[in-house]
Amino acid sequence: MISMSDLSRVYQSGDTQVQALDRVSLDIDQGEFLAIAGPSGSGKTTLLNIIGCIDSADQGQLNIDNINVTSIEPKNLAGFRRKKLGFIFQSFNLIPVLTAYENVALVLNLLDIPEQEIRTRTMALLDEVGLQGLENRRPAKLSGGQQQRVAIARALIKNPSIVLADEPTANLDSKNGNDVLNLMKAMNQKYNTTFIFSTHDQMVMDYASRLVQLHDGAIHSDERR
Amino acid sequence: MLFLIQLAAKNMTRYLKRTLITASAIGFGLGLFLFTDSLLMGAERDSERNLIWYETASLRLYHKDNVDQYEKMNLKNLIEHPEQITRVLSKNNIKVTTRTTFSGDLIIRQNPYPEDGSMMVRISAIDTNRDSSVYRLKDSLEDGSQWLKEGSNGVILGAWLAEDIGAKVGYPLTLVTRTREGAFQTMDLDIVGIVNTGNPIINRYSVIIDQQYANTMLLLGGAVTQIDIAYPVTEDVEQLQPRIVNVISQHRQDIAVLTWRDLASGYLSLVATKRSGSSSILGLVFLISLVGITNTMLMAMYERRKELGMMRALGMKDSEIRLAFVFEAGGIGIIGGVAGLILGVILVWPMVNIGIDYSFLLREMDVGYRLSNIFRGTWRPEMFLVAFIASVMFSMLVALIPTRQALKMSITECLGGSSQ
Repeated sequence: MISMSDLSRVYQSGDTQVQALDRVSLDIDQGEFLAIAGPSGSGKTTLLNIIGCIDSADQGQLNIDNINVTSIEPKNLAGFRRKKLGFIFQSFNLIPVLTAYENVALVLNLLDIPEQEIRTRTMALLDEVGLQGLENRRPAKLSGGQQQRVAIARALIKNPSIVLADEPTANLDSKNGNDVLNLMKAMNQKYNTTFIFSTHDQMVMDYASRLVQLHDGAIHSDERR
Repeated sequence: MLFLIQLAAKNMTRYLKRTLITASAIGFGLGLFLFTDSLLMGAERDSERNLIWYETASLRLYHKDNVDQYEKMNLKNLIEHPEQITRVLSKNNIKVTTRTTFSGDLIIRQNPYPEDGSMMVRISAIDTNRDSSVYRLKDSLEDGSQWLKEGSNGVILGAWLAEDIGAKVGYPLTLVTRTREGAFQTMDLDIVGIVNTGNPIINRYSVIIDQQYANTMLLLGGAVTQIDIAYPVTEDVEQLQPRIVNVISQHRQDIAVLTWRDLASGYLSLVATKRSGSSSILGLVFLISLVGITNTMLMAMYERRKELGMMRALGMKDSEIRLAFVFEAGGIGIIGGVAGLILGVILVWPMVNIGIDYSFLLREMDVGYRLSNIFRGTWRPEMFLVAFIASVMFSMLVALIPTRQALKMSITECLGGSSQ
């Protein structure tokens, strides 16, 4: 489903070049719950960004659902992301002036889905992530855990084949982090959505069904559980 | 599209104070523009009316050879047998009168005047019977004044001229000029009236005598310098001019027809200069408010950088993001525009109904406008509409600059940069 071979990425930092990814090759199947771990600066966010088509590799090839995304023009990648990918961010990145409902429905609005269908799907998913009754609250009136649930619902609402999460529990306490991971796992199992997340939190790694360890931009270990 | 509009509307409430301050700046600029436009257009409208009512009439007929010479105010190239023309025009229901305008020296002596003196003046000899069908001098006589009697040696002075020389009704004065043949002629006259019009030129310089009296004293033989025609001030004289030419050319070939615009070309170029100067200042005020909205949008972009990255990551196209910000700026433009319209109404209403009394200033100096006391504004609904639409459109347009800047950043930069 996701196939990458020899992905490399170099960043320019002042006068020095930083090898963020060094010939990374990896295959990820549909429905995997995969954690990319590693110390800070190991290249996990860069790898996540490249899989999420919000950054590009300098070398190598990336195929998602048999589409060679490295050959897609950058301006056409928005359409690809819109249909295929969901994102969960460390700091939630909810729009503060929109309610929980509106934040989730935003994605469907972009897809020009009829209003009635948007309502039905959004309300159902908000119920599913445990936010029933809170749909009209703005992010500022929600706890961190609740905000991340909204972000998870926003990522899943369009039924993407892949959800990418960059350190999804980093801003949560252990209880909320645990709840969010349980929810993500449940969604992964229910919808067979591929979850790929970066982390350096041992608790998150323990939840993963596959753990890829990066070190200095290269795969150090790839462990299936 | 509807979703983007809703998003823009909600984003406007995000920093309500900043939105309101920016909108206020637009509103202030717009209100000031509407106020100044109303004042300038009101002054121009009233000036044009006062030109036509007191100074130029709607159209004027000169002898063809006098078209380039009439400002010299000598008695050459007169219209002979003007009654041939006035008769034809009257038959066509056109309001018409004749005048003879020439220069001369006005001489006054101490007692009853405060002191001896003389000055060069412009003298108009008018047809006392028909003049008020074209001009409104008769309606502007001050208390105690009389209109000129046919054949009499009466004289009417402009109010400011009379005040400057200390003249009153009943005082004598002497005019020294030349006859048609060039010989000096002295006319001893009695002041019968003083006119106080809305036109400062008339008030400041006018000396008006009877045409028949002038005809006798200056040996004019019935000839006049000009024939003046009146139409309602709203009529387009450029369209009337060929009609008059057509009517006259069947009888006389020696006559040229000038519009009030031809006669007041100096005034019109002055107004055009004033208008462009005012427009530049107003353009600057407007520009400042637009810089304000650019700054607001730039700050919004910077503050929402992560959101911008999130929306792009979720698949929102650059064109949709651009549109959302353009709508947001348009929303601020609408609020500012409405505030500007309200401010405009608040400022223009007293200008239209009360005006500003500038008589203290206009009495002492010639500002070009043919207004002697009150500057009044005018309602221009079409300008309200145009200014409102322009403020919204410009607001939307200037939002493109910061949006373009923000969209130059990569998604990862927006999201806070790669931590590798």
